Amino acid sequence: MTMRVKALGLLPGLVGGLTLALLALGAPAGAYHTNFQGYCNSSWLNLNPITRGESRDYAYSGAAEGYQWAGGCWNNNNVDDSPGDPPGDPNTRGEGPDCSGFTFKSWYERSETGDPWFRYHYLMQNVHGPYAAADFKYGVGAPNTTVAKANTVFMDAFASTYHIGMIYWANTAYNQDRIIEAKCEACGTGTWPRTYRGNPDYSGARRLYWAG
Amino acid sequence: MKRTWRWPLAGFVVGGLIGATFLTVNVVGASGPEQRRAVNHSFGEILHTPPLILKQNEPVELTFGVVCGLSEDRPEARCSPKGLVYLRASGTGEFRALRLAREPNGQLSAEVPSRYTGGAGFDYYAEIEDGRGYSATLPPGAAAAPQHAWIASNWTTVVLGSPRFGEARRPDSIVVRASWGKGDRALGLDSGREQSRIGPSAFDLAPDGAVVVLDQVNDRLAVYRHDARPRHLPIAFSGGEGDLAVAGDGTAYVLDAGGAGSSTPIVRSFDSAGQLIAGIPLAEPTADMVRAGPGGPLVHAYPSEMWLPTGRGRPPVVPSRQIALARPGRAVAGNLEVVVRASPGEARFALVRGDRVVQAWIVKAPTSLGEVQLAEPYGNGLLAVVRLWTEKRAEFRVLQLQPAGLTGSFAVDRAEWAETASLSRFRLHGSTLYQLRSAPSGVEIALFEIGGTT
Repeated sequence: MTMRVKALGLLPGLVGGLTLALLALGAPAGAYHTNFQGYCNSSWLNLNPITRGESRDYAYSGAAEGYQWAGGCWNNNNVDDSPGDPPGDPNTRGEGPDCSGFTFKSWYERSETGDPWFRYHYLMQNVHGPYAAADFKYGVGAPNTTVAKANTVFMDAFASTYHIGMIYWANTAYNQDRIIEAKCEACGTGTWPRTYRGNPDYSGARRLYWAG
Repeated sequence: MKRTWRWPLAGFVVGGLIGATFLTVNVVGASGPEQRRAVNHSFGEILHTPPLILKQNEPVELTFGVVCGLSEDRPEARCSPKGLVYLRASGTGEFRALRLAREPNGQLSAEVPSRYTGGAGFDYYAEIEDGRGYSATLPPGAAAAPQHAWIASNWTTVVLGSPRFGEARRPDSIVVRASWGKGDRALGLDSGREQSRIGPSAFDLAPDGAVVVLDQVNDRLAVYRHDARPRHLPIAFSGGEGDLAVAGDGTAYVLDAGGAGSSTPIVRSFDSAGQLIAGIPLAEPTADMVRAGPGGPLVHAYPSEMWLPTGRGRPPVVPSRQIALARPGRAVAGNLEVVVRASPGEARFALVRGDRVVQAWIVKAPTSLGEVQLAEPYGNGLLAVVRLWTEKRAEFRVLQLQPAGLTGSFAVDRAEWAETASLSRFRLHGSTLYQLRSAPSGVEIALFEIGGTT
């Protein structure tokens, strides 16, 4: 058998094998992109009440991390490790929380909606919690209530039916609020000045039972 | 039996191995567990709102929040910050230290002694350490580029009437109309479950009057002249939202959040053909506004709340230089600066020259005041746009502030179905005010003739 005949025999097999490998392995990898959540865990521990300041420190760990609709884990390395995932798809399994999951974790809430007390969720714990933004807006769940926007303080939140962000620092020089929030896939999670306070779409939301 | 199948089978196996190796290296390897466990050790952030404009002998407390960066992923890992604030009266050379007291809510604060509040103003900066070996100053320029508070002895007080929501002035005309989407006549909308609706972040007016829209969802500038079909200039844009300023020479300065590749915002400049001139990271982690100043673009940055110059061309101003040149007021024509300090109870505005207050206004309203959307020199004073709101209603109020008081005012519908950059809904061009409005049907740029300059 000549080299040319051998090569002609090898080539279709090579192309076929390569195609099959990319289809078999590449399609799921592409769909899940980085599969960040594959490295997350389910670790938590219950705590006594914490302060608003401790809650803000925890939330700050999410700044500069990613956004993932229905997601819940991040690693505090200040990089979105799964940028560019298609938005609104939980199967992309990317890094970061969404807005309501970020609030749930930062407010140290528990998954049992009748239990108002505190739970530390490890940053890499992949948990979203039972609440959507609208639930916070209407004060659903034992730890949550509503509050007049004029009376809000730091680590209260502004919630609409489609988004929620927590007050990181109230009243800037231009009278905005610096909000800490999981904003969108292209935005990631971070702190930005916002005008939610004066926007009628948004209501004041508060976690109860802070230690201070 | 002829063994003709052997070579195709070998090729099949080799091809499969090559494909699997490629995917392993590029997908799994790029996101391995070691990379996932990083914890960022750092100070965190100092939070502060500067008083900026004070009445003579007005008591003032400087308050600082301190955010502790997590050093470990465990509940007890916290810091115990303490620090000093350094003050000096305007025109004097030496800073004096004042210890910051810890309040019950964890914030650090100090009353400014009366000897600093009776003169023309004072400079200050804070130096805070977190008890874990990390420390930071605010503003980052410390004594070399401190924060400043002006003291005005003469104020023009304006008391606004109660808002009559729903009776806003109709625009004089609509100069841009676009549907949502990616097409030639559309502007992009980023929306989805559990997230904000984000439309075009900002717009500005080119020197020839063209409306330039930052259509960041579609990575482009959309330039509208007299035709409904805009000219599109593709641009690099990182992150979800940004801001835009077009200078007198037609250069467009685009502020973006930096995206996944940068921990700070980035300012990029583009010529009128959309060609990139330069790009530079910002010295601070957050920014909300870019404006064209007489010496080049200025960016309002956080946590300092100072205006950082980024340079009008190539090379741009590097971050260390931005910090050294930072100013608490925004430079405008005539060697003046615009200073804004608002709260829910009142909004203060001033035109200053150096340490001297040229003109100052206090605006009070019967409802809560929201953000100051715009404050631009106009005639001998300022044109300002503020939000008035109650829990369920809101509107914008346009104010002509002149030395004698309020010489004109009207309400504008908020029309904010989609988000823009937080302070980029309005732009003033000559005596015409433009507003970026949005609704479920799309976006429009509306025009209001102001008139009434003196």
